[in-house]
Amino acid sequence: MADRAIKLLVIGESGVGKSSLIRRFVENKFDENHDVTIGMDFKSKVMNVDGIDYKVALWDTAGAERFRSLTPSFYRKALGAILVYDITNRDSLVKLEAWLAELDSYSDNPNIAIIVVGNKIDQERVVDREEGRKFARKHRALFIETSAKCDQFVSDVFKDVVEKIVSSEYFGNGNGSANGMEIGGNQDLEANDSTCYC
Amino acid sequence: MDELLNEVVPQEDLERFEKKYHHELELDGEVTTETKFEYAFCLVRSRYTNDIRKGIMFLEELARTHTEGRRDYIYYLAFGNARIKNYDLSLNYCRAFLEIESNEQVRSLEEYIKKQSDKEIAKGMAVAGGAALVLGGILGLGFAMARNKQKRDKK
Repeated sequence: MADRAIKLLVIGESGVGKSSLIRRFVENKFDENHDVTIGMDFKSKVMNVDGIDYKVALWDTAGAERFRSLTPSFYRKALGAILVYDITNRDSLVKLEAWLAELDSYSDNPNIAIIVVGNKIDQERVVDREEGRKFARKHRALFIETSAKCDQFVSDVFKDVVEKIVSSEYFGNGNGSANGMEIGGNQDLEANDSTCYC
Repeated sequence: MDELLNEVVPQEDLERFEKKYHHELELDGEVTTETKFEYAFCLVRSRYTNDIRKGIMFLEELARTHTEGRRDYIYYLAFGNARIKNYDLSLNYCRAFLEIESNEQVRSLEEYIKKQSDKEIAKGMAVAGGAALVLGGILGLGFAMARNKQKRDKK
């Protein structure tokens, strides 16, 4: 199980809904109040991709300025990053540029999988979908729009980024070989079982 | 929650903010709130109890002098105390926080500490129970020996 652990980072400006996305995904809850995250928080969830369980560790970072200098150590060993902005606030998308730069300089994984998430689609939009998509494309990131409040496309965020990580070289040469290993393991088990019963 | 509390600050971070702290202290004779907090934030995540205690001391000072950042200090006071198993104190900080502001992050820390503290109490009782058994054994052995002695004396 330990080698099937995936560390994901969630970054972005304060108030865009980072913790809400995680909370919706892990606990299927939503709170209208904005609980400002202090420093960092952690939640985990087991996700099954192609029949294999992965323990996804979600590191939620405070968007607040005072933690900017303190959070980079959490970037280490992350296999994926979820960059969140608020579609009712253009500045939060503009600022993602700075968050990406930060990720570039502190991440120790040059192949880190990145997904850009435009949150709050239940509210009146200020930022066009196309703007977000363009930004993501420019940085070779995946892109999705969500509503943590109405539970729209939230699980897709995590599914998309984890699938990208799993199919990358990090877990052997993609899905094919991983499945092959699993099948081999199962066969061994079955063989043992049959000898036991005989 | 285990992951959060067991996460250890990278040594280079601790050293970097320690240096910054001492540099300011030497240069200006005082340290900015920001630097003090950065250093304390690293200290409470150290692997060493003495560092954690030092971090707690800084955070206590900050909580007294810098009201704007108080929620951050109180949270990390709860956090640091939990890491050195000062569960009662840690719970007090959580409760103090939650009285002022409802917060999911603090609530889950509170729940976790309650569980840990109950575990410690159970462990303490198990140890005490074990000690009672051992003591009972020794006493029993003593009685048995005394009885044997009595028997021998009678003969």
